Formats: sequence, structure tokens, C-alpha cells
Amino acid sequence: MNAIILSALLGVVMMFASVFTENKIAIRNIAIFGLLILLASNLLNIYTPYSFNVDLHNMLRFDSFGLFFNSIAIVSTLLYVILSGSDIVKVGNYPAEYFALIFFVLCGVTILSSYNSLLMLFLGVEIMSIPLYILTGSDKKNLKSNEASLKYFLMGAFSTGIMLMGIALLYGASGNFNLEMIREKTSIAEFGILAPLGLLLIFISLAFKVSAAPFHFWTPDVYDGAPSVFTSFMATIVKTAGFIAFVKLFSLRMADLGPSYAIILPVIIIATLLVGNITAVFQQSVKRMLAYSSIAQAGFMLFALYTSNDLSTEGILLYAAAYSIATIGIFGILIKMKDYTFDGYNGLAKKQPLVAATNTVFLLSLAGIPLTAGFFAKYYMLASALKSNGSALWLVIVAVLFAAVSVYYYFRVIQAMYFKDGDAETTEIDGTFKFVLVVLALLIILIGINPSILLRWYYF
Amino acid sequence: MNKLVYLVPLFPLIGFLINGLGRKSLSKSLISIIGCASVLASFVVSVILFFDVKANGATVVDYFNFINLDSLKIAFAFQIDALSSLFLLIITGVGFLIHLYSTAYMHDEEPQHFGRYFAYLNLFIFSMLLLVMGANYVIMFIGWEGVGLCSYLLIGFWFKNDNYNYAAKKAFVMNRIGDLGFLLAVFWLIEKLGTANYADVFAHASSLSSFDVTAITILLFVGAMGKSAQIPLYTWLPDAMAGPTPVSALIHAATMVTAGIYMIARSNVLYSMSEVTMNLVSIIGLATALFAATIALKQNDIKKVLAYSTVSQLGYMFLGLGVGAYTGAVFHVMTHAFFKALLFLGAGSVIQAMHHEQDIRKMGGLKKQLPITHITFLIGCIAISGIPPFSGFFSKDEILAAAFAKNPIYWGLGVAGAAMTAFYMFRLYATTFLGTFRGTEDQQHHLHESPSAMTIPLIVLALLSVIGGFVGVPEILGGHHSLHNFLSSVLTTEVAHESAKNTEYLLMGISVAVAAIAIIFAINKFSKKPELEDATGFGKLLENKWYVDELYDSIIVKPNTAKGKFLKNIFEKNIIDAAVNGVGRMINYSSRQLRLIQSGLVSGYILFMVLAIIVMVLIWVNDGYIYKFFYNLF
Repeated sequence: MNAIILSALLGVVMMFASVFTENKIAIRNIAIFGLLILLASNLLNIYTPYSFNVDLHNMLRFDSFGLFFNSIAIVSTLLYVILSGSDIVKVGNYPAEYFALIFFVLCGVTILSSYNSLLMLFLGVEIMSIPLYILTGSDKKNLKSNEASLKYFLMGAFSTGIMLMGIALLYGASGNFNLEMIREKTSIAEFGILAPLGLLLIFISLAFKVSAAPFHFWTPDVYDGAPSVFTSFMATIVKTAGFIAFVKLFSLRMADLGPSYAIILPVIIIATLLVGNITAVFQQSVKRMLAYSSIAQAGFMLFALYTSNDLSTEGILLYAAAYSIATIGIFGILIKMKDYTFDGYNGLAKKQPLVAATNTVFLLSLAGIPLTAGFFAKYYMLASALKSNGSALWLVIVAVLFAAVSVYYYFRVIQAMYFKDGDAETTEIDGTFKFVLVVLALLIILIGINPSILLRWYYF
Repeated sequence: MNKLVYLVPLFPLIGFLINGLGRKSLSKSLISIIGCASVLASFVVSVILFFDVKANGATVVDYFNFINLDSLKIAFAFQIDALSSLFLLIITGVGFLIHLYSTAYMHDEEPQHFGRYFAYLNLFIFSMLLLVMGANYVIMFIGWEGVGLCSYLLIGFWFKNDNYNYAAKKAFVMNRIGDLGFLLAVFWLIEKLGTANYADVFAHASSLSSFDVTAITILLFVGAMGKSAQIPLYTWLPDAMAGPTPVSALIHAATMVTAGIYMIARSNVLYSMSEVTMNLVSIIGLATALFAATIALKQNDIKKVLAYSTVSQLGYMFLGLGVGAYTGAVFHVMTHAFFKALLFLGAGSVIQAMHHEQDIRKMGGLKKQLPITHITFLIGCIAISGIPPFSGFFSKDEILAAAFAKNPIYWGLGVAGAAMTAFYMFRLYATTFLGTFRGTEDQQHHLHESPSAMTIPLIVLALLSVIGGFVGVPEILGGHHSLHNFLSSVLTTEVAHESAKNTEYLLMGISVAVAAIAIIFAINKFSKKPELEDATGFGKLLENKWYVDELYDSIIVKPNTAKGKFLKNIFEKNIIDAAVNGVGRMINYSSRQLRLIQSGLVSGYILFMVLAIIVMVLIWVNDGYIYKFFYNLF
């Protein structure tokens, strides 16, 4: 509760901040300060559930899963702002507004992590999405940015429509928005196809949000067109929030709603892995490659939906943290590059050894190499699938093969940095930036050695 | 006392770390002090532990769970009992003397290589200690591999010489063959008994079928063949002489090569259960003893003679194990450690005096210039030849007596081998130290006795070679055989000596007489007129080591190299590479095609999405119809 209210308030505070100061650094610092407060209030929420005495009518429910994810999202945002804050303020003339929008997105994220009613799901998705349409188009004079924003909005509206339709059908079947009530009241026998169809439509719209194939088409264009700093935000915090909403929805046990589920989800997983990994192979721009890689990573995160057991719950949280940290780092470095193609990275290791080394750690983590957080993230996902269902073996094998393919395009960056001669040009890189990179890399290695460091907070 | 146990391997490990990491910055004298002191400290602790075991019996110290699987738990534990404490004394004691000797012998090396040398040496001691202290086969295996690694590193210590590297590789590969046997045996044990702990394995050994016991013991013996250089895996040991001489003394004579004997003695409960393996062990041991002795007769490299003599003596130890004389074998390990280390170190002293000349045909008459080396070397030769009351006599006699009780033919062949031993050792002695000098003038000019850091170990080892046998004086000579009593808690009681007292006196007399005749014959023959020209006929066969290396080369190495070439040039290029590159090309191609779907047109995207939704809804609404269709299809 704290996080939802405070993030909305902080968004307003940021908007007013621009009235009082023009200093971009000061604005960034206010945002960092605000995020710290948000983090503290969220942690406080763990111990004192009722800081705000509001009757929620059981529409929101704050459990350790949601609160822990809030912490991950807020910490990721904090690291993101510290790392790339100086680039956020450079996007356009209204830095305070960008931070305000980021806080509003966080408000949506925190609602998504605690919704207990389909209405709240809808509100959360929209509160999260609308600021993103603006952020995508924030580079106003850039045609690509405008195009991306419009595309995103059009397709987002499309998916919103589908979600509303789904919610309406479910309401029709059960007469209720509340998740638990719906679970109690719906079954195929009683309601025919209404309930499953409604659930399917919500499923589709969420699949759109997390860019699962074949609803991923917006992702490469939007990620590529949006200013890189905001791509970073979208690809990490927003995407993982989508998965959290997804996992919460799956507490409805779609599997009970019909055997088709057993074929649809694996097909989606494989399609997502295929599109993400295979298309990434041929990209020339690192930014576009990362867009496809985010689709590929979503394919792995979808495993959390395939099964719902302890391992998959822990796994999606671990994946959210591991993936966000690494991607924030990679984008942070990408923003500093003058040339976004693979060739632009040539010889980076000689000019910026520390940056290249940390970038390597992030890439290894995304590829799932052991001793990085990404390894355990993938491991938990696949292990949970195997644990719940012996017939998932073939799916796991396919996933591992695609992970092998992903090594190809991630290592292309490493190869360019270390083994190719060239003159990688970067904008100015300061000490704070390097420091945060090292912190991110250390976090990845630390979680990669012992994931329980992170997960024990889940069971505080 | 349990609190001290971990210190024994810890000291050399620390020495290894300091010398290994600081090899570029530490001075030579500091490196020497660290190298020697760490082993000396281990020795002191070992002495304390030895007396503790003597007074209070064995202990097992459990540190932590090393491997923890569902039902299999392997502890990182040390077992200090009669057998391991005796080995601890030999390893750290002889090891310390050889470290001390090395400080002088290796003094001309550059500081960083000097540091590397001592780091390896300390690492070796550490690994060897793990090998004998482990309370289960897994810890033993860690040490087993560790000593193999150190042996490899030290044989190839002068890595700029390709022949030395080749010798190092050969040693490693031969040892790997043996290691495979060891590993299989341990897996087999774990599979059948669910444990690798000595105590549990021996307690439940009776539940193993006789086939299992035979297979396990034979596989373990294969491991011992590799490590302890027995037929057919012995050829690496003579080549291992490429390493620095103190290394030959420590690793390839006194300690590492006896690991096989230790392992079999440790597993004596299992071995005693399998008559087949026991016969195999004794036959292989005896064959190796004789075969290596014949080769040693005609070698002209001072270290090669000693190397073959080591192989031959190891053969005797296996003969002892095979006929059930476990104590005798361990006893011979101990005395052999003394006199063989002495002989190698003496040889090192000679080699250094001769400016790295190893061919005995170019030596001669060194008696005057190297008095201490000469006397101690002579003591070593007498000890190995089995002349009473030197140490070698008692241990060899015990093995031969047990062999006689088992099968008089074993005894007869053993005595023949002993005669050859006496002969080639005194051929070596006479050619090197007696007669006239045959080297260059320059060499003669520089002949000098070695510094005291080298002679002190020689003197100590010579003393031990003389008196070391008294711990095992047999009862018929009025002794109590205190070693036997000490080890009886670990080693099963061997075959009783059923032969009468008179027979035993007779056996002893014969073997001593034969050895003495061989000695006199050798001295007479070689002190005046050494063999200077290359041998012919049968001698040539011996000089070329029965052409075993060539045989292995043509029946094993060359066919395998040919196979490797085929796989590399044909199979890999046309099949593996083609498959790998094909997959890559396929992915690249599909990537290019898939990319085209991403047209950039929103209408196209939405069309795709709507189609997908329609398909999914159809699947869903049909309630698994398509799923069932596919399910029935496959």
C-alpha cells in the first residue's frame, strides 16, 4: 500500500520540482531521494501492514511475493537512475517530467504486484502503460521516436481492448472481479466456454505486455525507436512487472480450465524462444539485438507459468532480479556508445577495460553461464518445469538449445570488445557510472554464487 | 593429539603457497628455509602422532562432509593408525632430508625456478600426506592424483628440453591408465557397499561376492601397477629420471612409487579374500623384479641403473604383498626408502661433481675425491644387496621367507633376482668409484666433494640404511620383530612360517651367499676393466631394455596416433565440422527469413496477432481437440 500511494505522490512531487528548479542534476537527485523513500516505505510495509488505513474491499492484497517484487523493482529503478540518470536528463527539455512518468510507471508496477481483483489488474496495466507511451515518444524531434510511440500506443490500445473483453467475459461467468471468488465459482462444466475464453483473452493481452510470440511485434520497433534510456526501463522493470501480474493471474490455475492449455503454453514458449533467439542472431545493431534478446528472455520467464510451484515462484523473482540488473547494465553502457552497431564495440576493452569487463559479466549472465545470476535464474525455471511434470523434458531440452543459440549473439559483443581492433567511441564516462557498473556486476556474481542471498529476503 | 592431525598436511601446503606465489620475489635462502622448515614441522608432528598411535592406538579425525549425495556421504577425514603413521614418518623424514639436499643441489637455478621447484616439492609432500592420511578411498584418490601431477611437473621441471617434456607426458599418461583402474574400483566399491570409508568397507567386505572382490582388487592393482611401475606399466619410471636427481630420490624411489604398496597393504582385508588376485600380484611382482633386474645389468646411465633397480625392488614388494607378507612389504618400503634415497642422492652428488655427466663409463676412481659420497654409496649398495646386518637384508629376507612358504619356485626366482641386484649394484659401484678416472681433464680438475647440505642427508640416510633393519629382526635371529607387532593392528596376520628353523637358516644362508658371490664377482670384473664398448648380442637386447618401449610404440602408440589422424583429418572435417557449421548456417538463414516478418507495418502486426488469437480461441474452445489429435498421432 505504501509504495502505491507514495509512488503516485512522488510523481506529483517530481512534476512540481520542475517549477522550482531548472537544475538537471538537482532533479535527478530528488528522484534518487524519492526512490530511497519509496524503498524504505515498501520495506516498512513488510513489518507494519497498515500505514494507510484504507478499506480496500479485498481488491488489493499485499503478500511477501508482491512486496518482495516491489523491492526488486524499486532497487532496480534506483540503480537504473543512478547509472543512467545523467542520460535521462539529456533526452529532452523536461527532465522532471520524465522522472514523474517513471514514478507513475512504478505506481502501476506496485499495483500489478498486489492486485486481487481484475479491475485492479486493468488499472495497474494501464497506469503502467500510458506513461510508457509518452516516454517512448519523449525524443520529440526524432521521427523514429514518434513512430515508435504511436505504434506502441496503437497496439497497446488493441491489447487493452482484448483484456477488457476478457475481464467482461469472466465477470459474466462468475459475477465477480475478485480472483479468489472467480476461482471458486468458475468451472468448465457450469459456464461452458465463457470463463475459459475470458481467461484466454486476458492471457493474450498479458502475453502482449511481456512480448511473448506471436504478440511480440511491437517490441523490436518500440525498443529500437524509443530513446535508449527508456528502452532500458521498459525492457527491465516494466517487463518483469508484466510477468509478476501474469504469475498472479495463474494462481487461477488455468490448467484446470481445459487440456488445450497444455498445448497452447508450450507452443507460445517455443515460438517466443524461436523468434527471440533466431532473429537476434542476424541483427547488426546491439540495441535491436537486445530487443530480440528481451523476447528470448521472456520465453524463459514464461516457464514460470508452465508450472506453479515454489521453485517457479522463487525462480521468477530471481529471474526478475538477475535479468533486470544485467539488462540495466548493458543498456547503461549502450547509451554511452556513439555507435550502436556491433562494430561500434570494437576495441572497447582497450579503451575502457572496466566497462568492457562489467559488460562481459552482464552478457554472460544473460547467456546463463554459471557463476552469474542468470545461470541460476534459468536453472530455477527449467528445474521447476522438470519437477512438476516429467513430460516437460522435451520443452526443457528445446529451451537449453535456444540458450545455446543465445550465446552466439551475446558473445558477439564480447568478441567485438576484446578480440577486434577498433576505436570504440564513447561519450564521457565518469566515476559514478563505473562504480555502479561494478556494483551491478558484483551483485550478479554474488547471486550467481549463492542465490539464497537474494531469496532469503523473500522468506524474511 | 587429534587436534594436531591437520597440521601435518597443512605445513607443506602453506610452504607450497608461499613459495609458489612468492617465487619471483623471495630470495633463494628464504625459499630454502620455508621449503625445508614446512616439511620439518610436519615431521615433528608426525613423530608425535607416531608415538601417540603406539601408546593409544588408531584414531579417525572427521573434518567435514566432502561429498554429500542422497545416500552417499564421503567425509573429509584422516585416519592415523600404525600403517599411516609409519608412512608419515618415512614421507616427512626422508622428504625433509631431500629438501635439505635440494637446497644445495638446485642452487644454480634462477630464483624463480628455484621457488617453483620448492613449491612443487612441497605440494608433492602435501599430496602424498593426503594419500596416506585419508580415511577413505576418495581422499586417497585426491592425494593419488596430486602426487601424479607433481611427478609430472617435476619430471618436466626443465621444460625447455623437449625430451624431458616427453618423459613427463609419458609418466602422466601411464599413470592415467592406472588411475582409471583405481577409479573404477572405487566406484565399484561405492556401488556395492555404498561407502568408501576404509573402516566400513573392511567391516562389510564379507558381504561382497567373490567375483566383486576379485574385480575390485584387480582394478585397484591396475592402479598400483601404474603408480608403482609394474609390468606392463613400468616404462615411465626409467624415463622419469629426466627430473632433477633429488626428485628421483624422493618421488621416484622413496615415496610416490610406493603408494601402490601402501594402497594394497591398506586394502589387505580385501586382497586376502581373493586367491586369484593374490597370485596375480605375486606373479606380476616377481616378473617385474626379474625383468627389471636383467635390464639394469646393462645400463650405463647411473640414474637409469638405479631406476631399474627401483622397479625391481618394487617388484619384490609386490611379491611380498602377493604371498601375504604385508608387513614384509611395508618393511621393505621403509628400508628401500632409506637406501634408495641414499643411492639416488649419492648419484646426484656424483653427477654434480662430474658436471652433469651421467654415463658411468666416463667416471671411475671417484673414491678419493668424493670420500663421503663413496662411503655412503657403498653402504647403500651393501644394503640393497641384502648383506646382513644392513637393513635390506632383513626386509628382503622376510619377503623371500614368505615366498618360500607359499611356493619354493617364487623363492628360487627371488634369490636369482637378488643375485642380479647385487651384481648390477656393484657393477655400478665399481665402475663409478673404483679403477681409474676416465672423464675429461676439465672434469677431473673440478672434482670435489659436495657441500655439507648434501653430505649430511647422505650420512643420515646411510646410518638409517645400516640400522633401519633392526626394527624387524626375525625371531629366529633373536629379535622381536617390533615392526610386525606394531603393524599387526592394521595388517591381517600373514601366512604362518611353517618351515623349520633349520630350513630358514639355510634359506638365509643361500641368499646371502649368492649375493656375496655376485658382489665379489662384480667388483673383480669391473674395478679393473669396466665395460666401455657397447654391448652385443644378448647384452644389446638388455641394453635396449628388451625393446619394450619400441614394442609399445608400435602396438599402442602408433595405431592410436593413426586413428587420431584419421579422426582429425577425415571424421572431424567432414562430419563434425560439417554438422556444426551446418547448424550455424541454418540458424543464420532462418534468422534472415524470420527478420522479414518484422515489416514495420502496424496493420501487418495486428493481422498476425488477430490470426493467432483466432487460432488459440479455436483450440481452446474445441477443448483440446487439436491436442488430442496430435496426441493420437504420435
